[in-house]
Amino acid sequence: MAAPDFNFLLATDSYKITHYKQYPPNVNRVYSYFECRRRKDAQFNEVVFFGLQYLLKKYLTGPVITEEKIQEAKVFYQLHFKQAVFDEEGWRQVLEKHDGRLPIRIKAVPEGKIIPRGNVLFTVENTDPDFFWLTNYIETMLVQMWYPITVATISREFKKILAKHLKATSGSLEGLDFKLHDFGYRGVSSQESAALGGAAHLVNFCSTDTVAGLLMAQRYYSCPMAGFSIPAAEHSTIISWGRSREKEAFERLLDQFPSGPVSVVSDSYDIFKACKYIWGDKLKERVMERSEDSALVIRPDSGDPAETLIEVIKILEECFGSSLNSVGYKVLPSYLRIIQGDGIDLNDEGWSAENVFFGCGSALLQKLNRDTLHCAFKCSYVESNGKGMDVYKQPVTDPSKGSKRGRLSLRRNSDGFIETVERGVGKPEEDLLVTVFENGTILQEYSLDDIRKNCICTHGLVPHENESD
Amino acid sequence: MCSSQLFARVFFFFFFFSQLVLCVTEDGWTLGPGLVTHYKQYPPNTSKVYSYFECREKKTDSTKTRKVKYNKTVFYGLQYILQKYLTGKVITPQKIQEAKEVYREHFQDDVFNEKGWNYILEKYNGHLPIEIKAVPEGSVIPRGNVLFTVESTDPECYWLTNWVETILVQIWYPITVATNSREQKKILAKYLMETSGNLEGLEYKLHDFGYRGVSSQETAGIGASAHLVNFKGTDTVAGIGVIKKYYGTKDPVPGFSVPAAEHSTITAWGKDHEKDAFEHIIKQFPSVPVSIVSDSYDIYNACEKIWGEDLRGLIEARSADAPLVVRPDSGNPLDTVLKVLEILGKKFTPQENSKGYKVLPPYIRVIQGDGVDINTLQEIVEGMKEHRWSIENISFGSGGALLQKLTRDLLNCSFKCSYVVTNGLGVNVFKDPVADPNKRSKKGRLSLHRTQSGDFVTLEEGKGDLEEYGQDLLHTVFQNGKIVKMYTFDEVRDNARLKEFEVEELLH
Repeated sequence: MAAPDFNFLLATDSYKITHYKQYPPNVNRVYSYFECRRRKDAQFNEVVFFGLQYLLKKYLTGPVITEEKIQEAKVFYQLHFKQAVFDEEGWRQVLEKHDGRLPIRIKAVPEGKIIPRGNVLFTVENTDPDFFWLTNYIETMLVQMWYPITVATISREFKKILAKHLKATSGSLEGLDFKLHDFGYRGVSSQESAALGGAAHLVNFCSTDTVAGLLMAQRYYSCPMAGFSIPAAEHSTIISWGRSREKEAFERLLDQFPSGPVSVVSDSYDIFKACKYIWGDKLKERVMERSEDSALVIRPDSGDPAETLIEVIKILEECFGSSLNSVGYKVLPSYLRIIQGDGIDLNDEGWSAENVFFGCGSALLQKLNRDTLHCAFKCSYVESNGKGMDVYKQPVTDPSKGSKRGRLSLRRNSDGFIETVERGVGKPEEDLLVTVFENGTILQEYSLDDIRKNCICTHGLVPHENESD
Repeated sequence: MCSSQLFARVFFFFFFFSQLVLCVTEDGWTLGPGLVTHYKQYPPNTSKVYSYFECREKKTDSTKTRKVKYNKTVFYGLQYILQKYLTGKVITPQKIQEAKEVYREHFQDDVFNEKGWNYILEKYNGHLPIEIKAVPEGSVIPRGNVLFTVESTDPECYWLTNWVETILVQIWYPITVATNSREQKKILAKYLMETSGNLEGLEYKLHDFGYRGVSSQETAGIGASAHLVNFKGTDTVAGIGVIKKYYGTKDPVPGFSVPAAEHSTITAWGKDHEKDAFEHIIKQFPSVPVSIVSDSYDIYNACEKIWGEDLRGLIEARSADAPLVVRPDSGNPLDTVLKVLEILGKKFTPQENSKGYKVLPPYIRVIQGDGVDINTLQEIVEGMKEHRWSIENISFGSGGALLQKLTRDLLNCSFKCSYVVTNGLGVNVFKDPVADPNKRSKKGRLSLHRTQSGDFVTLEEGKGDLEEYGQDLLHTVFQNGKIVKMYTFDEVRDNARLKEFEVEELLH
């Protein structure tokens, strides 16, 4: 549930307060849908559907309207618009007729499903004819679905790339789930975004420092512990020793964390010298006595990511040697690994992807927006006097902004491809959309385990290769 | 393993967990696990860790294509973070226990500093023994200067300074929104002044459309409030709540809006009834400005035939206080704006103002709310000026670019340790990575001053104590769990206002 002082009536774009006056007379149903529009130049062709359950549980379930909230909204909007335009009576009806629960139905793709761009992902309609204006009132909140969808999608795209390289350079996918670590906590815009983005990353990986994401997964997706981390240094714990005592700082890390992996940021002054003279010489024996389960993970954190990574790995090879794995790629000794802060593009210089972990910060959780996947919510069908009409926009100035028409359903066609059926002609038994929310109650829930199964990433994944429906 | 017992146990933790350390939202606590282990990593006998925050200068910029420089930043948002996450009793026995359990699972090891947190609980009743000194909120400060400092006030709690880093670094967001919004205000001020001779209505020229395009409700509140430091028009209602709760204004509300259509309220009438939709809506709002999105099918036809002919009489009857505001929403922003102005200009004869630029009659205006970012804004106002259209004719809406399309890297926001006390001796510390001189950090205890010529300077290594530059502009705002200095939103706005000399600079 949202915080007690969260007022649902204040959680929308201001202009939507005025829309109840703008629909045609006698409208009694407004039906809208959400999609990640398809674009010719699109970088990503399929999306992971994730995050609706969070929104439903936190903001939309149960009695979200109270008289107090109506009064607060009324006073506020009077000042904000400098006139009385708020639909006090309409909201009081929600309170009186429905106990403050929203008379809305939402049908959605199961969470975790991979769906090609340009398909309906969820639909929203009012269940009581008096509340046609409610469907698009909640657009603002529901369109924020763009965020968990986009994080989960990008995270999965990274996973596909990593899977490909790992398979090619090591012969297996072992450890894939730990290959991309979420470092994004400080670089997102708020605690709530950290939690939601962090959880979306955990759909694909198990490695994170964004603790809020773990709690989100626990509370909203029934997963007691969705991700793991290791002790790690930051610059302050190295530089606080003083420039001439970097070795002592490093040694302290090894002493404090003798068992289990430990990550040590090594670029405070000179990453290359640190690798060659401290790790590779002064502390070499200490490094070598560590086991495979308690590897030293060296972290560069500046310079060109690809170049730095290659130079570091070469220096480490000189100092510690390497061996060839079963597919002919070089691997550092098992007590030594590298974590690279960014730059996913692995180089083909004969090194196995087993050597490196990646950490991703704002590229994973912040450097995205609603245009990354062209997420949009549009009205496609209305009923007036019981008569239905398919509606749409089709701006001559941008055909890609055209919207779908009529009631929608999602199905797998005879070739196995997922497609959207418009104009209400879809067969209910084929519809992949599931009613997840109705009249204030959640009807279908998904756990993170379910979601992870739905979007399993195997090497060589093709868009429709999704077993579990 | 998800046995029902384990699940119940964890769920039970979670319930109490929801108000753990350093986060008072009902959603739980918020600390990076890496930080959990840092208390073990500092040198032995460390009794103080002192860190600072800046928007680093980028002297060697590889991205030379960046047109906007962002030489100065608006400092804003600390008060929100302090009140929401750091003030008062943030530690309790249950929270410590629960954190211990969760971190044990998360690390598969016992690394949590239970002793350290119990000490804080007992000695300080769960209040955080740290001191934060900061520049006044709303201050506009050149890049590369210290904006706030954080230090532990108890020798046992030296590790606390960087524990709070993750939470405090999120200040990058309100700083960046406010800064980017202010830079856009400068662009608008320049062109408005040049094409009309005054700055009337400047504060309503850039309207926040970003609520749906941010990553969460909380972000919406913070970001929208940051935009309102510079402007007064917003549809992101959440921002107003943040200002009211965490800053306060003397006026009842700090932001305003007008009735406006969206596509569904037009398309619901059906393709052949766009005119009926338009007519109905403007009649619903006769005496306030009303914005009507007009591109559902064909923006140019809508302007020429529907607004320009069929409904012309209704529009001409509207007063200057209640214009129709035509809203295109697709196509190339500059091209569309120019073509819309041209068509409307043919149907509603413009006047020439005192600067020689065309102004549509006061009952009709345009708002461009699609694809607007700081670069396209500049293009549009420049293009309008070239075609002799005054900026009085137009206002802008911005969503994703205003509130979401920003990262910590835009202003290089960074939090770094600069001074520690070990074995009773103060040591200036810093990082200086060989591969990136831009990432070098400042040394020692810092202070911010104004030089005689009015510039800002950050003194390092405790040199501020010499008093050569007068007073330190950093004030203590937080001490040992209490906020000791607060700013109203009015003060923030005043500190961030466009100064006369800035406007003059823009015009030359």
